[in-house]
Amino acid sequence: MKKIVNFVRHTFKDIPKQGKEEIIQSVTELLNEKVEDLIEKGLSEQEAIDKTVVEFGTVEDYFVNFKKQEKKMRRKKTINHYKNDLFFSAVGSTIIIAIIVFVNLYYVPSTLWFVIPAVGILFWPLSILYNLLNKRENRKDEKDE
Amino acid sequence: MINSDIIRGHLESVILKLIIEKDMYGYEISNLITERTKKRFNIKEATLYSVVGRLQKKELIDSYIGEKSHGGKRRYYKITSLGRAYYNQKLLEWIELKKVLDALLEDRK
Repeated sequence: MKKIVNFVRHTFKDIPKQGKEEIIQSVTELLNEKVEDLIEKGLSEQEAIDKTVVEFGTVEDYFVNFKKQEKKMRRKKTINHYKNDLFFSAVGSTIIIAIIVFVNLYYVPSTLWFVIPAVGILFWPLSILYNLLNKRENRKDEKDE
Repeated sequence: MINSDIIRGHLESVILKLIIEKDMYGYEISNLITERTKKRFNIKEATLYSVVGRLQKKELIDSYIGEKSHGGKRRYYKITSLGRAYYNQKLLEWIELKKVLDALLEDRK
């Protein structure tokens, strides 16, 4: 019966953690019942286990929408990631620009040179904003499909 | 062999119907489906268990550990009153669907 447990664990190894143990446990129980039935019918234990494993199907049969869901979740994660990046870059560039402005006004108030590096630094959050918007656009396209 | 995509939406009703007839355990259900359809449709265990799991989560069926007539323990499923109501609803839906498809696909001369 150890083989069944291993088979089930292997089959469901990539599913989300939430509810995973529960699924593995219940499926193992059900498959063991089947193996017992088959042995009762006169098959050897090995044959019974093989038959059960072969007839089980795939993880896609279990989760009809599994692939889709997983993809959606991954996309959501990426977007969240980009949002964090955007926040970080905004805070970071604000601090750097503030320092430059301070240095500029403190030492050479006559020429306002801080504008030039500031424009450069602004491209940091801008590029990340671009990425984020791009990702969102893609998501909309996919919904339309 | 029927394309399993088409029948998938109706598997819940099928399983509920079998469990209404009598309390059953997992493998018994899959056996009975094969038998009743004369092997034209063969439910994969993976699909069956996911449907059963879903039904249980929706509290349409309940499970208990029971003794089989000779030997081992089995997890039997039994219908709840909610499940019965749900099945009746689904059955009406199916009858309606059958009528609609018949009306659309039947030969007209």
